[in-house]
Amino acid sequence: MSSQNGLVCFTNCFLPQEDGSLLEKDLWIDERRGVILDAQKTFFSRRERPDKVIDLGGNILSPGLIDIQINGAYGFDFSVFDGDDDVYQSNLKDVAERIVETGVTSFVPTLITQERSVYPKILRLLRPFATVTSATVLGWHAEGPFIDMAKRGAHAPSFLVSAPEGIKSFEELYGAENLADSEDWLMSTGSESGVRIITAAPEVPGVMGTVEELTKRGVIFSIGHSIATSDIAIAAVQHGARLITHLFNAMPQLHHRDPSIIALYTGDVMSPIALTPMKPNKSSITGLKSPVGSEALDEVETPPQTPIFKAHSGKNSTLKNTQSIAGFSLDSSEFTRPFYEMIVDGVHSHPNSVRLAYSSYPEGCILITDAMKILDPNLRDGVHEWRDGKRFVKEGDKLYLEGTDTLAGSVVTLDKCVRNFTRFTGCTLAESIKCATYNPAKCLGIENQKGTLRSGADADLVVFDAQGVVQSTWVKGKRVWTR
Amino acid sequence: MRLIIRETPPSVGDYIAHYICRRINDFAPTAEKPFVLGLPTGSSPIPTYKALIKLVKDGKLSFKHVVTFNMDEYVGLPKDHPESYHTFMFREFFSHVDIPPAQVHILNGNAIDLIAECNSYEEKIKKYGGIELFLGGIGEDGHIAFNEPGSSLASRTRIKTLAYDTILANARFFNNDISAVPHMALTVGVATVLDSREIVVVVTGQRKALALSKAIEGGVNHLWTLSALQLHPWALIVVDEDATAELRVKTVKYFKSIERVQDEVEATQRELKAKGNVPVPQVGSME
Repeated sequence: MSSQNGLVCFTNCFLPQEDGSLLEKDLWIDERRGVILDAQKTFFSRRERPDKVIDLGGNILSPGLIDIQINGAYGFDFSVFDGDDDVYQSNLKDVAERIVETGVTSFVPTLITQERSVYPKILRLLRPFATVTSATVLGWHAEGPFIDMAKRGAHAPSFLVSAPEGIKSFEELYGAENLADSEDWLMSTGSESGVRIITAAPEVPGVMGTVEELTKRGVIFSIGHSIATSDIAIAAVQHGARLITHLFNAMPQLHHRDPSIIALYTGDVMSPIALTPMKPNKSSITGLKSPVGSEALDEVETPPQTPIFKAHSGKNSTLKNTQSIAGFSLDSSEFTRPFYEMIVDGVHSHPNSVRLAYSSYPEGCILITDAMKILDPNLRDGVHEWRDGKRFVKEGDKLYLEGTDTLAGSVVTLDKCVRNFTRFTGCTLAESIKCATYNPAKCLGIENQKGTLRSGADADLVVFDAQGVVQSTWVKGKRVWTR
Repeated sequence: MRLIIRETPPSVGDYIAHYICRRINDFAPTAEKPFVLGLPTGSSPIPTYKALIKLVKDGKLSFKHVVTFNMDEYVGLPKDHPESYHTFMFREFFSHVDIPPAQVHILNGNAIDLIAECNSYEEKIKKYGGIELFLGGIGEDGHIAFNEPGSSLASRTRIKTLAYDTILANARFFNNDISAVPHMALTVGVATVLDSREIVVVVTGQRKALALSKAIEGGVNHLWTLSALQLHPWALIVVDEDATAELRVKTVKYFKSIERVQDEVEATQRELKAKGNVPVPQVGSME
């Protein structure tokens, strides 16, 4: 039953605010235009009030969740292209329509490192789109191939590349038209590029030189799969890097003398002092085998280490060394603390690590699933077919290769991450929701339209009960899923 | 004038809400003959609004055929400013009840011609046949609406400069920045309020005690504009115990006895009405 004047009032509900608080308040939306209304203005200026009132029985009415790193779901792997555009797009649409059951109303399909010819084929298919009942595909996130061999995780070593020609190397790989500058990309016209996020390692030759240009084009440079030293990581942030890919995973462990990437979110503004670096641990990057399992988790080959960048050797200041590596010097320019992603499945990061990061910079925290294609909340535990004749065993949120104890990736849903996060950090549900709505939207620069309950924003909504369990999901003002 | 004394602000709110509810339901408003209600802002009426909202949610009262006129609004403050009376009324009341937006009237403090705005407000009230019941509150200096001490008791809707006291008191809502507090307001006049058929005023808290005593134990005086209520044939003041602190014991006792008499008379009248004898449309005040 739709509203006569097209306006709907949600009442008897709590609204998560952008400051992490929870407010008991009504929310008015226009279900025809699919936007959230300024209720007071609607009342006094339009002289209208909603004909339809929905009593949410004291539940939480949240902006729809946003997953900015997800590799696949419901059996479809975003990185796999079998040559047929229609099949790929229909599979993508299928994921977008089904994933709303996990409270996700927007996501950024993520490609892990592929053979270079694959990129132009897939990326042009990943432009922003949505159907009336589906989550919005916001564009693409390319994780690799400009990443560090030493922290490659499950990315295929043979496909990793450097960027000898800087931005040109990026354009050649991803396709120049896919990296085009596009303003106001959410106003989807179907013609613009879908690039949103590129995860790369700034210490890989040529990469540092691309950070500023990519940032200028509206691309989010995310530091990940990297062994960057603190000064390189800081320089990358000073040049515009805005995000850290799955914090703690695929990066050096925190070392107090050179905290590398992890400490970036603490907001380093001090000029780093010269270090006496450890010698590169050769054994850690030789003898690589074909990767299996989670790209973020599979670090057995590259044991914990301090940053091993060679340029640190010698008695010169790190500043000069950085210059010689990357062609950029550290300067005193403004340091904006980057956002950081966390996989809150209780496996990829210990609950205490999650709390450690969150307590030092709550505003930068972004929850992601980093889920593999087997993500499907309806999938029962047990043995399932995977690929190449391999099978995996699913045990709750843990996924093993059959017959091994090798974790095969993440299968956690984002709504579960939200629930886990409150348990791990002791924060409120509203604060946790913020890390899966407002924070990722802010990182993408779309906090006027997504991840918020501001007037004028898309009416993409999720109803949570007090335990954080999804009760219903709404896309552009229409209910698309209900428990 | 009647004075009703209740223990606490919430019970004052309950009393007034039930009173208004009965008045509206007895009136049996229709689209052609709506009930015209005057409304205040401020902290004292909030318990009343809360109780009214509950009556609406419980299905005992509807604002479908109620027309409202608010007392006042700041000049130059955007309608959506958190301290504007538009915002207050929407947040505390209108968003929660079933009143059609077209039936809500609040003075426009951003009108280009403020005088014309005030005059047309009076016209509108007249067109609806006057206000049936005006609910009000008072300031610590006994002002009703923005009719600060010294306002003419014959005043109509007009532009009013705020008293320095009021500006200081309101600075807390504007980051303690006195220059940010609006210095002018549009307000209905004392005579506008007195023109309504019935006036109900809520007075709660010790800080309002002196104003209450001045208004009902002193003479009619433009320095305590609420005292003009003494000239009105059908006025009701509902207060909590704290607000009676400055009243004489005799005054309090007298008004408590009136309450009993009024209850008895109203009960008799309702019985008569139920039997089909309707001697007077409204009971009026029993003092």
